Amino acid sequence: MAEVRAEMVANVWKVVAAEGDTVDEGDTLVILESMKMEIPVLAEDPGVVAQLRVKEGDVVQEGDVIAVIDE
Amino acid sequence: MTVLDNRVVSPASETEAVDPRDPQVRLAALLDEGSVRPITPEDKSGVRAAMGRVEGVPVVVFCSDARFQGGAMGSEGCEHIVHAYDVAVRERVPVIGIWHSGGARLAEGVESLHAVGRVFAAMTKASGVVPQLSVVVGPAAGGAAYGPALTDIVILADQGRIFVTGPDVVRSVTGEVIDMAALGGPEPHSKRSGVVHVVTKTESEALLQARRLAVLLGHQGRIRAAEVEDIDFSDLLPESARRAYDVKPLVKGLLDEPGVELHAKWAPNIVTTLGRLGGRTVGVIANNPMRLGGCLDATSAEKAARFVRMCDAFGVPLVVLVDVPGYLPGVGQEHDGVVRRGAKLLHAFAEASVPRVTLITRKAYGGAYIAMNSRSLGATKVFAWPTAEVAVMGAVAAVRVLKRRELAAATEEERPALEARLAEEHEKVSGDLGRAVDLGVIDEVIEPATTRSAVAKVLAQATPARGAHGNIPL
Repeated sequence: MAEVRAEMVANVWKVVAAEGDTVDEGDTLVILESMKMEIPVLAEDPGVVAQLRVKEGDVVQEGDVIAVIDE
Repeated sequence: MTVLDNRVVSPASETEAVDPRDPQVRLAALLDEGSVRPITPEDKSGVRAAMGRVEGVPVVVFCSDARFQGGAMGSEGCEHIVHAYDVAVRERVPVIGIWHSGGARLAEGVESLHAVGRVFAAMTKASGVVPQLSVVVGPAAGGAAYGPALTDIVILADQGRIFVTGPDVVRSVTGEVIDMAALGGPEPHSKRSGVVHVVTKTESEALLQARRLAVLLGHQGRIRAAEVEDIDFSDLLPESARRAYDVKPLVKGLLDEPGVELHAKWAPNIVTTLGRLGGRTVGVIANNPMRLGGCLDATSAEKAARFVRMCDAFGVPLVVLVDVPGYLPGVGQEHDGVVRRGAKLLHAFAEASVPRVTLITRKAYGGAYIAMNSRSLGATKVFAWPTAEVAVMGAVAAVRVLKRRELAAATEEERPALEARLAEEHEKVSGDLGRAVDLGVIDEVIEPATTRSAVAKVLAQATPARGAHGNIPL
Protein backbone atom coordinates (compact mmCIF):
# COMPACT_ATOMS: atom_id res chain seq x y z
CA MET A 1 0.00 0.00 0.00
CA ALA A 2 1.52 3.27 -1.08
CA GLU A 3 -0.23 6.56 -0.50
CA VAL A 4 0.16 9.27 -3.10
CA ARG A 5 -0.14 12.69 -1.53
CA ALA A 6 -0.55 16.23 -2.83
CA GLU A 7 2.74 18.16 -2.77
CA MET A 8 1.01 21.54 -2.73
CA VAL A 9 -2.35 23.28 -2.43
CA ALA A 10 -4.14 22.85 -5.75
CA ASN A 11 -7.40 22.30 -7.60
CA VAL A 12 -8.07 18.88 -9.06
CA TRP A 13 -8.28 19.66 -12.77
CA LYS A 14 -8.54 16.18 -14.28
CA VAL A 15 -8.79 12.66 -12.90
CA VAL A 16 -6.91 10.43 -15.32
CA ALA A 17 -6.76 7.03 -13.60
CA ALA A 18 -9.67 5.06 -12.17
CA GLU A 19 -9.93 2.69 -9.23
CA GLY A 20 -8.91 -0.79 -10.32
CA ASP A 21 -6.49 0.48 -12.98
CA THR A 22 -3.06 -1.11 -13.19
CA VAL A 23 -0.40 1.59 -13.19
CA ASP A 24 3.34 1.74 -13.72
CA GLU A 25 5.83 3.94 -11.95
CA GLY A 26 5.54 7.38 -13.52
CA ASP A 27 1.96 7.01 -14.79
CA THR A 28 -0.28 10.02 -14.34
CA LEU A 29 -3.06 9.53 -11.77
CA VAL A 30 -4.63 12.98 -11.68
CA ILE A 31 -3.69 16.43 -12.97
CA LEU A 32 -3.73 19.29 -10.48
CA GLU A 33 -3.94 22.96 -11.28
CA SER A 34 -1.93 25.39 -9.20
CA MET A 35 0.26 28.43 -9.82
CA LYS A 36 -1.37 28.61 -13.27
CA MET A 37 0.30 25.30 -14.06
CA GLU A 38 -1.14 21.89 -14.86
CA ILE A 39 0.78 19.56 -12.60
CA PRO A 40 0.50 15.80 -13.01
CA VAL A 41 0.47 13.57 -9.93
CA LEU A 42 2.38 10.40 -10.72
CA ALA A 43 2.35 6.88 -9.35
CA GLU A 44 5.65 6.35 -7.55
CA ASP A 45 5.45 2.57 -7.67
CA PRO A 46 3.78 0.08 -10.00
CA GLY A 47 0.56 -1.48 -8.75
CA VAL A 48 -3.21 -1.28 -8.80
CA VAL A 49 -5.14 1.87 -7.91
CA ALA A 50 -7.02 0.77 -4.78
CA GLN A 51 -8.53 4.13 -3.92
CA LEU A 52 -8.91 7.50 -5.62
CA ARG A 53 -9.93 10.00 -3.00
CA VAL A 54 -10.44 13.10 -5.16
CA LYS A 55 -12.79 14.18 -7.92
CA GLU A 56 -12.49 16.95 -10.48
CA GLY A 57 -13.03 20.36 -8.94
CA ASP A 58 -11.86 19.35 -5.45
CA VAL A 59 -9.33 21.49 -3.63
CA VAL A 60 -6.49 19.52 -2.08
CA GLN A 61 -4.18 20.73 0.68
CA GLU A 62 -0.49 19.87 0.92
CA GLY A 63 -0.20 16.34 2.30
CA ASP A 64 -3.76 15.23 1.41
CA VAL A 65 -3.99 11.67 0.17
CA ILE A 66 -4.93 11.62 -3.51
CA ALA A 67 -4.74 7.92 -4.22
CA VAL A 68 -3.72 4.63 -2.65
CA ILE A 69 -1.77 2.15 -4.77
CA ASP A 70 -1.75 -1.56 -3.93
CA GLU A 71 1.65 -2.96 -4.81
CA MET B 1 32.72 -1.14 -14.37
CA THR B 2 33.36 -4.80 -14.67
CA VAL B 3 36.64 -4.27 -12.91
CA LEU B 4 34.73 -3.04 -9.85
CA ASP B 5 32.20 -5.83 -9.90
CA ASN B 6 34.87 -8.47 -10.14
CA ARG B 7 36.87 -7.10 -7.31
CA VAL B 8 34.25 -6.68 -4.64
CA VAL B 9 33.17 -10.27 -4.92
CA SER B 10 35.98 -12.52 -3.82
CA PRO B 11 37.10 -15.13 -6.34
CA ALA B 12 35.54 -18.52 -5.69
CA SER B 13 38.86 -20.25 -6.18
CA GLU B 14 40.40 -18.69 -3.07
CA THR B 15 40.45 -21.05 -0.15
CA GLU B 16 40.23 -18.36 2.50
CA ALA B 17 37.17 -16.13 2.11
CA VAL B 18 38.03 -12.43 1.89
CA ASP B 19 36.35 -10.27 4.52
CA PRO B 20 34.37 -7.67 2.53
CA ARG B 21 35.00 -5.19 5.36
CA ASP B 22 38.75 -5.38 4.78
CA PRO B 23 39.84 -1.87 3.68
CA GLN B 24 42.22 -3.45 1.18
CA VAL B 25 39.23 -4.96 -0.62
CA ARG B 26 37.38 -1.65 -0.65
CA LEU B 27 40.42 0.42 -1.67
CA ALA B 28 41.18 -2.02 -4.48
CA ALA B 29 37.57 -1.83 -5.66
CA LEU B 30 37.62 1.98 -5.73
CA LEU B 31 41.02 2.64 -7.26
CA ASP B 32 42.61 1.80 -10.60
CA GLU B 33 44.20 -1.62 -10.67
CA GLY B 34 47.68 -1.61 -9.21
CA SER B 35 47.56 2.07 -8.22
CA VAL B 36 47.04 1.66 -4.45
CA ARG B 37 49.90 3.07 -2.36
CA PRO B 38 49.22 2.89 1.41
CA ILE B 39 50.09 6.04 3.39
CA THR B 40 49.24 4.60 6.82
CA PRO B 41 50.48 1.39 8.47
CA GLU B 42 48.53 -1.86 8.76
CA ASP B 43 47.31 -1.52 12.33
CA LYS B 44 44.24 -1.89 14.52
CA SER B 45 43.36 1.83 14.47
CA GLY B 46 40.17 1.18 12.50
CA VAL B 47 41.31 3.38 9.59
CA ARG B 48 43.47 2.81 6.51
CA ALA B 49 44.52 5.45 4.02
CA ALA B 50 46.16 5.30 0.61
CA MET B 51 47.01 7.29 -2.45
CA GLY B 52 45.87 5.97 -5.77
CA ARG B 53 44.31 6.79 -9.10
CA VAL B 54 40.81 6.84 -10.56
CA GLU B 55 40.88 6.63 -14.35
CA GLY B 56 44.37 7.99 -14.02
CA VAL B 57 43.32 10.93 -11.81
CA PRO B 58 45.27 10.98 -8.53
CA VAL B 59 43.19 10.84 -5.33
CA VAL B 60 43.66 10.21 -1.62
CA VAL B 61 41.38 7.68 0.04
CA PHE B 62 40.78 6.69 3.64
CA CYS B 63 38.61 3.79 4.68
CA SER B 64 37.09 2.59 7.94
CA ASP B 65 38.38 -0.79 9.03
CA ALA B 66 35.20 -2.32 10.43
CA ARG B 67 37.05 -5.49 11.44
CA PHE B 68 38.25 -3.65 14.55
CA GLN B 69 35.65 -2.35 17.02
CA GLY B 70 33.15 -1.90 14.19
CA GLY B 71 35.37 0.75 12.60
CA ALA B 72 34.99 3.02 15.62
CA MET B 73 37.18 6.13 15.55
CA GLY B 74 39.98 6.34 18.13
CA SER B 75 42.79 8.85 18.33
CA GLU B 76 45.12 6.76 16.17
CA GLY B 77 42.55 6.19 13.41
CA CYS B 78 41.60 9.86 13.45
CA GLU B 79 45.26 10.81 13.06
CA HIS B 80 45.34 8.65 9.93
CA ILE B 81 42.35 10.58 8.51
CA VAL B 82 43.96 13.93 9.34
CA HIS B 83 47.15 12.71 7.66
CA ALA B 84 45.14 11.72 4.56
CA TYR B 85 43.71 15.25 4.47
CA ASP B 86 47.18 16.79 4.84
CA VAL B 87 48.38 14.78 1.85
CA ALA B 88 45.29 15.58 -0.26
CA VAL B 89 45.57 19.32 0.44
CA ARG B 90 49.33 19.32 -0.20
CA GLU B 91 48.87 17.47 -3.51
CA ARG B 92 45.66 19.37 -4.36
CA VAL B 93 43.79 16.15 -5.19
CA PRO B 94 40.28 14.94 -4.28
CA VAL B 95 39.89 13.02 -1.04
CA ILE B 96 37.44 10.14 -0.75
CA GLY B 97 36.30 8.66 2.57
CA ILE B 98 34.78 5.17 2.74
CA TRP B 99 32.73 4.97 5.94
CA HIS B 100 31.69 1.98 8.01
CA SER B 101 31.99 3.10 11.62
CA GLY B 102 30.00 3.24 14.81
CA GLY B 103 31.45 6.62 15.75
CA ALA B 104 33.95 7.56 18.47
CA ARG B 105 35.68 4.77 20.45
CA LEU B 106 33.87 4.62 23.77
CA ALA B 107 36.82 3.07 25.63
CA GLU B 108 39.02 6.05 24.81
CA GLY B 109 36.55 8.51 26.26
CA VAL B 110 37.17 12.19 25.72
CA GLU B 111 40.44 11.43 23.91
CA SER B 112 38.50 9.96 21.01
CA LEU B 113 36.06 12.88 21.02
CA HIS B 114 38.99 15.28 20.75
CA ALA B 115 40.41 13.22 17.88
CA VAL B 116 37.10 13.11 16.00
CA GLY B 117 36.84 16.88 16.44
CA ARG B 118 40.27 17.26 14.83
CA VAL B 119 39.00 15.27 11.83
CA PHE B 120 36.08 17.69 11.53
CA ALA B 121 38.47 20.63 11.68
CA ALA B 122 40.69 19.13 8.96
CA MET B 123 37.66 18.57 6.74
CA THR B 124 36.44 22.11 7.24
CA LYS B 125 39.89 23.59 6.50
CA ALA B 126 40.01 21.56 3.27
CA SER B 127 36.50 22.63 2.29
CA GLY B 128 36.52 24.38 -1.07
CA VAL B 129 40.24 23.62 -1.45
CA VAL B 130 40.01 19.99 -2.62
CA PRO B 131 36.85 18.07 -3.54
CA GLN B 132 35.72 15.78 -0.72
CA LEU B 133 33.57 12.73 -1.39
CA SER B 134 32.11 10.29 1.12
CA VAL B 135 30.91 6.77 0.42
CA VAL B 136 28.90 5.29 3.27
CA VAL B 137 28.88 1.50 2.92
CA GLY B 138 27.87 0.43 6.43
CA PRO B 139 26.57 2.11 9.57
CA ALA B 140 27.97 5.63 10.10
CA ALA B 141 26.83 6.82 13.48
CA GLY B 142 27.58 9.83 15.68
CA GLY B 143 30.97 11.24 14.71
CA ALA B 144 31.03 8.99 11.67
CA ALA B 145 27.77 10.59 10.53
CA TYR B 146 29.05 14.14 10.81
CA GLY B 147 32.27 13.28 8.98
CA PRO B 148 30.52 12.57 5.68
CA ALA B 149 28.06 15.41 6.35
CA LEU B 150 30.92 17.93 6.29
CA THR B 151 32.06 16.81 2.84
CA ASP B 152 30.89 18.00 -0.57
CA ILE B 153 29.08 14.89 -1.78
CA VAL B 154 27.74 11.90 0.18
CA ILE B 155 27.04 8.59 -1.58
CA LEU B 156 25.03 5.97 0.30
CA ALA B 157 25.13 2.26 -0.58
CA ASP B 158 22.22 -0.07 0.14
CA GLN B 159 23.73 -1.20 3.46
CA GLY B 160 24.77 2.31 4.49
CA ARG B 161 23.03 3.86 7.52
CA ILE B 162 23.60 7.39 8.77
CA PHE B 163 22.32 8.70 12.09
CA VAL B 164 23.45 10.65 15.11
CA THR B 165 21.91 8.21 17.57
CA GLY B 166 20.79 4.69 16.71
CA PRO B 167 17.41 3.02 17.14
CA ASP B 168 18.16 1.87 20.72
CA VAL B 169 18.88 5.36 22.00
CA VAL B 170 15.94 6.80 20.07
CA ARG B 171 13.63 4.23 21.66
CA SER B 172 14.89 4.79 25.19
CA VAL B 173 14.67 8.58 24.96
CA THR B 174 11.61 9.29 22.82
CA GLY B 175 9.84 5.93 22.85
CA GLU B 176 9.84 5.85 19.02
CA VAL B 177 10.29 2.33 17.67
CA ILE B 178 12.18 2.26 14.39
CA ASP B 179 14.84 0.10 12.72
CA MET B 180 18.19 1.26 11.34
CA ALA B 181 17.07 1.35 7.71
CA ALA B 182 13.94 3.39 8.38
CA LEU B 183 15.88 5.75 10.67
CA GLY B 184 18.96 6.37 8.54
CA GLY B 185 18.87 4.23 5.41
CA PRO B 186 18.52 5.10 1.72
CA GLU B 187 14.78 5.83 1.89
CA PRO B 188 14.76 8.66 4.47
CA HIS B 189 18.08 10.13 3.38
CA SER B 190 17.27 10.22 -0.33
CA LYS B 191 13.83 11.77 0.05
CA ARG B 192 13.45 13.55 3.38
CA SER B 193 16.66 14.62 5.06
CA GLY B 194 18.83 15.74 2.14
CA VAL B 195 21.86 14.26 3.95
CA VAL B 196 22.73 12.05 0.99
CA HIS B 197 23.38 13.18 -2.60
CA VAL B 198 23.49 9.82 -4.37
CA VAL B 199 21.86 6.51 -3.36
CA THR B 200 22.93 3.24 -4.96
CA LYS B 201 21.65 -0.33 -4.92
CA THR B 202 25.01 -1.95 -4.20
CA GLU B 203 28.35 -1.12 -2.61
CA SER B 204 30.16 -1.61 -5.93
CA GLU B 205 27.82 0.86 -7.63
CA ALA B 206 28.46 3.36 -4.80
CA LEU B 207 32.21 3.07 -5.41
CA LEU B 208 31.62 3.44 -9.14
CA GLN B 209 29.67 6.68 -8.61
CA ALA B 210 32.49 7.93 -6.38
CA ARG B 211 34.91 7.23 -9.24
CA ARG B 212 32.74 9.15 -11.71
CA LEU B 213 32.43 12.13 -9.38
CA ALA B 214 36.12 12.12 -8.47
CA VAL B 215 37.01 12.31 -12.17
CA LEU B 216 34.40 15.01 -12.86
CA LEU B 217 35.75 17.19 -10.06
CA GLY B 218 39.41 16.12 -10.13
CA HIS B 219 39.90 16.29 -13.91
CA GLN B 220 37.55 18.91 -15.31
CA GLY B 221 39.10 19.20 -18.76
CA ARG B 222 38.84 22.07 -21.23
CA ILE B 223 35.79 22.85 -23.26
CA ARG B 224 36.12 22.15 -26.99
CA ALA B 225 33.29 24.31 -28.31
CA ALA B 226 33.97 23.44 -31.95
CA GLU B 227 33.24 19.79 -31.24
CA VAL B 228 29.88 20.41 -29.58
CA GLU B 229 27.07 19.08 -31.74
CA ASP B 230 23.67 20.71 -31.62
CA ILE B 231 20.43 18.94 -30.82
CA ASP B 232 17.01 20.41 -31.57
CA PHE B 233 15.29 20.65 -28.20
CA SER B 234 12.07 22.27 -29.48
CA ASP B 235 10.08 19.05 -29.14
CA LEU B 236 10.86 18.81 -25.44
CA LEU B 237 8.45 21.57 -24.43
CA PRO B 238 4.71 20.80 -24.45
CA GLU B 239 2.53 22.91 -26.74
CA SER B 240 0.57 24.43 -23.88
CA ALA B 241 2.57 26.86 -21.77
CA ARG B 242 0.56 25.68 -18.77
CA ARG B 243 1.49 22.04 -19.13
CA ALA B 244 4.10 20.55 -16.85
CA TYR B 245 6.91 18.43 -18.31
CA ASP B 246 10.00 16.65 -17.10
CA VAL B 247 13.13 18.79 -17.53
CA LYS B 248 15.55 15.85 -17.18
CA PRO B 249 15.65 14.99 -20.92
CA LEU B 250 16.76 18.58 -21.55
CA VAL B 251 19.49 18.34 -18.91
CA LYS B 252 20.62 15.03 -20.37
CA GLY B 253 20.58 16.39 -23.92
CA LEU B 254 22.61 19.42 -22.95
CA LEU B 255 25.39 17.23 -21.57
CA ASP B 256 27.72 15.07 -23.68
CA GLU B 257 26.56 11.98 -21.84
CA PRO B 258 24.28 11.47 -18.83
CA GLY B 259 25.79 13.17 -15.79
CA VAL B 260 25.48 12.39 -12.09
CA GLU B 261 22.34 13.91 -10.61
CA LEU B 262 22.73 14.97 -6.99
CA HIS B 263 19.81 14.93 -4.54
CA ALA B 264 17.58 13.43 -7.26
CA LYS B 265 14.66 12.64 -4.97
CA TRP B 266 15.05 15.42 -2.42
CA ALA B 267 13.53 18.75 -3.49
CA PRO B 268 12.90 17.28 -6.98
CA ASN B 269 11.42 20.58 -8.17
CA ILE B 270 14.98 21.61 -8.91
CA VAL B 271 17.53 19.40 -10.68
CA THR B 272 21.26 19.61 -9.89
CA THR B 273 23.54 17.53 -12.12
CA LEU B 274 27.29 17.32 -12.66
CA GLY B 275 28.31 16.31 -16.17
CA ARG B 276 30.37 17.37 -19.17
CA LEU B 277 29.68 19.76 -22.02
CA GLY B 278 32.20 19.79 -24.84
CA GLY B 279 34.36 17.58 -22.67
CA ARG B 280 34.47 20.01 -19.73
CA THR B 281 32.85 19.46 -16.36
CA VAL B 282 29.85 21.74 -15.79
CA GLY B 283 27.11 21.96 -13.17
CA VAL B 284 23.55 22.15 -14.46
CA ILE B 285 20.74 23.62 -12.38
CA ALA B 286 17.21 23.33 -13.77
CA ASN B 287 13.70 23.98 -12.49
CA ASN B 288 11.57 20.89 -13.00
CA PRO B 289 7.95 21.87 -13.83
CA MET B 290 6.94 18.24 -13.28
CA ARG B 291 7.31 18.69 -9.53
CA LEU B 292 5.52 21.50 -7.67
CA GLY B 293 5.09 23.13 -11.07
CA GLY B 294 8.79 23.95 -10.94
CA CYS B 295 8.25 26.48 -8.13
CA LEU B 296 11.19 27.35 -5.96
CA ASP B 297 10.59 26.61 -2.29
CA ALA B 298 12.66 26.66 0.88
CA THR B 299 14.20 23.21 0.35
CA SER B 300 14.94 23.50 -3.37
CA ALA B 301 16.55 26.92 -2.90
CA GLU B 302 18.80 25.48 -0.22
CA LYS B 303 19.67 22.45 -2.39
CA ALA B 304 20.53 24.64 -5.37
CA ALA B 305 22.48 27.12 -3.24
CA ARG B 306 24.73 24.40 -1.90
CA PHE B 307 25.31 23.05 -5.41
CA VAL B 308 26.17 26.52 -6.73
CA ARG B 309 28.66 27.09 -3.92
CA MET B 310 30.27 23.68 -4.41
CA CYS B 311 30.70 24.27 -8.16
CA ASP B 312 32.00 27.78 -7.53
CA ALA B 313 34.53 26.57 -4.97
CA PHE B 314 36.02 24.10 -7.48
CA GLY B 315 35.80 26.30 -10.56
CA VAL B 316 33.03 24.30 -12.24
CA PRO B 317 31.06 26.57 -14.65
CA LEU B 318 27.29 26.61 -14.28
CA VAL B 319 24.44 26.27 -16.76
CA VAL B 320 21.09 27.39 -15.36
CA LEU B 321 17.88 26.28 -17.13
CA VAL B 322 14.99 28.46 -16.04
CA ASP B 323 11.28 27.66 -16.20
CA VAL B 324 9.89 28.90 -12.92
CA PRO B 325 6.42 30.21 -12.04
CA GLY B 326 7.61 31.77 -8.78
CA TYR B 327 8.28 30.99 -5.16
CA LEU B 328 5.79 28.53 -3.70
CA PRO B 329 3.16 30.42 -1.69
CA GLY B 330 1.85 29.10 1.62
CA VAL B 331 1.85 29.40 5.38
CA GLY B 332 4.02 26.30 5.64
CA GLN B 333 6.66 27.81 3.35
CA GLU B 334 6.79 31.13 5.17
CA HIS B 335 7.03 29.43 8.55
CA ASP B 336 9.65 27.01 7.20
CA GLY B 337 11.82 30.00 6.44
CA VAL B 338 11.42 30.36 2.67
CA VAL B 339 12.70 33.91 3.13
CA ARG B 340 15.86 32.88 4.99
CA ARG B 341 16.50 29.72 2.97
CA GLY B 342 15.55 31.31 -0.35
CA ALA B 343 18.08 34.04 0.41
CA LYS B 344 20.82 31.41 0.32
CA LEU B 345 20.28 30.94 -3.41
CA LEU B 346 20.43 34.69 -4.05
CA HIS B 347 23.63 34.84 -2.01
CA ALA B 348 25.17 31.82 -3.72
CA PHE B 349 24.64 33.13 -7.26
CA ALA B 350 25.54 36.74 -6.47
CA GLU B 351 28.76 35.53 -4.81
CA ALA B 352 29.78 33.07 -7.57
CA SER B 353 32.95 33.77 -9.59
CA VAL B 354 32.67 30.90 -12.08
CA PRO B 355 31.32 31.50 -15.59
CA ARG B 356 27.56 30.92 -15.44
CA VAL B 357 25.12 30.91 -18.31
CA THR B 358 21.36 31.23 -17.88
CA LEU B 359 18.81 29.98 -20.39
CA ILE B 360 15.17 30.93 -19.91
CA THR B 361 13.22 28.24 -21.73
CA ARG B 362 9.63 29.18 -20.97
CA LYS B 363 8.91 31.50 -18.10
CA ALA B 364 10.62 33.33 -15.29
CA TYR B 365 8.40 35.14 -12.85
CA GLY B 366 8.99 37.39 -9.91
CA GLY B 367 11.51 36.77 -7.19
CA ALA B 368 12.25 33.35 -8.63
CA TYR B 369 13.35 35.03 -11.88
CA ILE B 370 15.92 37.02 -9.92
CA ALA B 371 17.07 33.98 -7.94
CA MET B 372 17.72 31.82 -11.01
CA ASN B 373 21.03 33.45 -11.95
CA SER B 374 19.55 36.59 -13.47
CA ARG B 375 21.63 39.32 -15.09
CA SER B 376 21.29 41.37 -11.92
CA LEU B 377 23.03 38.62 -9.90
CA GLY B 378 25.95 38.62 -12.33
CA ALA B 379 25.17 35.99 -14.96
CA THR B 380 27.93 35.75 -17.58
CA LYS B 381 25.28 35.47 -20.30
CA VAL B 382 21.50 35.25 -20.30
CA PHE B 383 19.86 33.45 -23.21
CA ALA B 384 16.14 32.95 -23.86
CA TRP B 385 14.26 30.73 -26.23
CA PRO B 386 11.78 32.61 -28.46
CA THR B 387 8.83 31.27 -26.43
CA ALA B 388 10.15 32.62 -23.13
CA GLU B 389 8.34 35.10 -20.94
CA VAL B 390 9.87 37.22 -18.20
CA ALA B 391 7.57 39.06 -15.82
CA VAL B 392 6.95 40.02 -12.23
CA MET B 393 3.98 37.68 -12.24
CA GLY B 394 1.64 36.04 -14.73
CA ALA B 395 -0.31 38.57 -16.82
CA VAL B 396 -3.75 37.69 -15.40
CA ALA B 397 -2.55 37.91 -11.81
CA ALA B 398 -0.84 41.21 -12.62
CA VAL B 399 -3.92 42.93 -14.08
CA ARG B 400 -6.02 41.75 -11.13
CA VAL B 401 -3.75 43.91 -9.00
CA LEU B 402 -2.99 46.76 -11.43
CA LYS B 403 -6.50 47.11 -12.90
CA ARG B 404 -8.42 46.25 -9.73
CA ARG B 405 -10.72 49.29 -9.94
CA GLU B 406 -11.42 48.93 -13.63
CA LEU B 407 -12.28 45.26 -13.17
CA ALA B 408 -14.48 45.99 -10.15
CA ALA B 409 -16.46 48.56 -12.16
CA ALA B 410 -17.30 46.02 -14.84
CA THR B 411 -20.36 43.78 -14.57
CA GLU B 412 -19.96 40.12 -13.68
CA GLU B 413 -20.63 39.14 -17.29
CA GLU B 414 -18.15 41.59 -18.77
CA ARG B 415 -15.38 40.86 -16.33
CA PRO B 416 -13.76 37.67 -17.77
CA ALA B 417 -13.48 39.18 -21.26
CA LEU B 418 -12.13 42.47 -19.89
CA GLU B 419 -9.63 40.59 -17.76
CA ALA B 420 -8.41 38.59 -20.75
CA ARG B 421 -8.07 41.74 -22.88
CA LEU B 422 -6.19 43.64 -20.17
CA ALA B 423 -3.95 40.64 -19.58
CA GLU B 424 -3.06 40.49 -23.26
CA GLU B 425 -2.27 44.21 -23.32
CA HIS B 426 -0.20 43.87 -20.16
CA GLU B 427 1.77 40.97 -21.59
CA LYS B 428 2.71 43.03 -24.63
CA VAL B 429 4.10 45.78 -22.42
CA SER B 430 5.75 43.89 -19.61
CA GLY B 431 6.28 40.20 -20.48
CA ASP B 432 7.63 40.85 -23.93
CA LEU B 433 11.08 39.45 -24.67
CA GLY B 434 12.00 42.48 -26.78
CA ARG B 435 11.72 44.71 -23.74
CA ALA B 436 13.90 42.34 -21.68
CA VAL B 437 16.49 42.39 -24.47
CA ASP B 438 16.33 46.23 -24.69
CA LEU B 439 16.91 46.45 -20.95
CA GLY B 440 19.89 44.10 -21.26
CA VAL B 441 18.54 41.54 -18.81
CA ILE B 442 18.46 39.05 -21.71
CA ASP B 443 21.49 39.14 -23.98
CA GLU B 444 20.25 37.09 -26.85
CA VAL B 445 17.24 35.11 -28.02
CA ILE B 446 18.44 31.77 -29.37
CA GLU B 447 16.74 28.83 -31.04
CA PRO B 448 16.45 25.52 -29.18
CA ALA B 449 18.40 23.94 -32.03
CA THR B 450 21.49 26.09 -31.40
CA THR B 451 21.45 25.88 -27.60
CA ARG B 452 24.35 23.49 -27.00
CA SER B 453 26.78 25.35 -29.23
CA ALA B 454 25.70 28.77 -27.92
CA VAL B 455 26.20 27.74 -24.28
CA ALA B 456 29.49 25.98 -25.04
CA LYS B 457 30.83 29.04 -26.88
CA VAL B 458 30.14 31.34 -23.95
CA LEU B 459 31.79 28.97 -21.49
CA ALA B 460 34.79 28.50 -23.79
CA GLN B 461 35.35 32.25 -24.07
CA ALA B 462 34.73 33.11 -20.42
CA THR B 463 37.68 33.73 -18.13
CA PRO B 464 38.09 30.71 -15.85
CA ALA B 465 37.65 31.56 -12.19
CA ARG B 466 36.75 29.97 -8.90
CA GLY B 467 35.33 31.29 -5.67
CA ALA B 468 37.63 31.70 -2.69
CA HIS B 469 35.37 30.13 -0.09
CA GLY B 470 34.56 26.86 1.58
CA ASN B 471 31.46 24.77 0.99
CA ILE B 472 29.51 24.87 4.22
CA PRO B 473 26.80 22.17 4.14
CA LEU B 474 23.90 24.61 3.83
